[in-house]
Amino acid sequence: MKQMIIVLTGVMVFSGLALAAAYSGLSERIEENRIAALNASLAAIFDVDPDAADGPSFDLVDGSDPLMYRGKDTDGTVLGYAIRLQAQGYGGAISMLVGLDADAERIIGISFVEQVETPGLGGRITEEVFRSQFRGLDADRALELVRNVPPDPDRNEVQAITGATITSIAIVGRINERLGDAVELIERQER
Amino acid sequence: MEQRSITAEFAKGIVRDNPVFVQVLGMCPTLAVTTSVINGVGMGLATTFVLVFSALFASLLTRIVPNQVRIPVYAVVIATFVTIADLVLKAYFPPLSASLGPYVPLIVVNCIIMGRVEAFATRNRPGVSIVDALGMGAGFTLSLMVLGAIREILGSGSLFGVGLLGTSFTPLVVMILPPGAFLTLGILMAIFNALKAKSDPVLIRT
Repeated sequence: MKQMIIVLTGVMVFSGLALAAAYSGLSERIEENRIAALNASLAAIFDVDPDAADGPSFDLVDGSDPLMYRGKDTDGTVLGYAIRLQAQGYGGAISMLVGLDADAERIIGISFVEQVETPGLGGRITEEVFRSQFRGLDADRALELVRNVPPDPDRNEVQAITGATITSIAIVGRINERLGDAVELIERQER
Repeated sequence: MEQRSITAEFAKGIVRDNPVFVQVLGMCPTLAVTTSVINGVGMGLATTFVLVFSALFASLLTRIVPNQVRIPVYAVVIATFVTIADLVLKAYFPPLSASLGPYVPLIVVNCIIMGRVEAFATRNRPGVSIVDALGMGAGFTLSLMVLGAIREILGSGSLFGVGLLGTSFTPLVVMILPPGAFLTLGILMAIFNALKAKSDPVLIRT
């Protein structure tokens, strides 16, 4: 009985100390990785080199809903906005950024911060073929999802990924839900 | 106890007692993460890390741990090393950590680890236990690599993320989906058993 208590206590203390040490040693780096991943996604939207010293800066627009980052170049000119959206995909939450130009008229790009979609199917949303379709689409009207036919940008169309309809619908649906709010917010900001 | 060479202790994990193809342990990560070689390697190495340290501690603690609390004590030890492995992956290999997702914390319930701790480490000295754990880890890693390679080549047309088969090849999507995992595993297991039967007929005939 006594031995049991001593052993259990000893093991728990050892475990607690080991975990505390590992966490305090690594948490800073984990946080840096998270920020680096976000910055890389932001840089991808504004099509700039994330490591460039004189690159643009991204700052969070205060109290924005949906969450929004403003991208500025070194002179302080607004390059555009990146809206952070969360969609419910097939494999779990998809965290994405949708870029808008400075006047909130067009989508300038889309990138994914975190996603756990099936590799080779829904996971292909991160490929350029899918992401490039969004570039240049109108921000003031809904996006249309088409299947098996080439998308027509003039009709604001995006082609779904074959075999990943749920993922494609989730992304386009979420953008349609929240883009209006974001555009309104940017227009208010500009005034 | 029968004295066997260090090499034999190590090698048995790769062929004779291969954790995946012979012991059929650890099926959850085996089937779930082997959509690409790199995932297989990552999962295999993370599991090996946990295996080695759990075996070492189990072997050291075996004489002082009362039998009634054996399982909780080893579970805590295993969970500790799994959490450390998860943190290390997050800190130093973020893309791998992202693609393995929840399967890293799930190493806690990988039966290879509890199996080796119970069946081997608690009955052997630390040195041999580590060798056994390394062998099992190597066998697990190699099995996952083979599965991952086959599924990645057929399912994505690439290997280590590099396109292999060109654009004319239409990937067999089923291979990266769960059925592909079962098909590949079944076929590999059959081949493994056939080879074993050939080299050691007595073992297989029942």
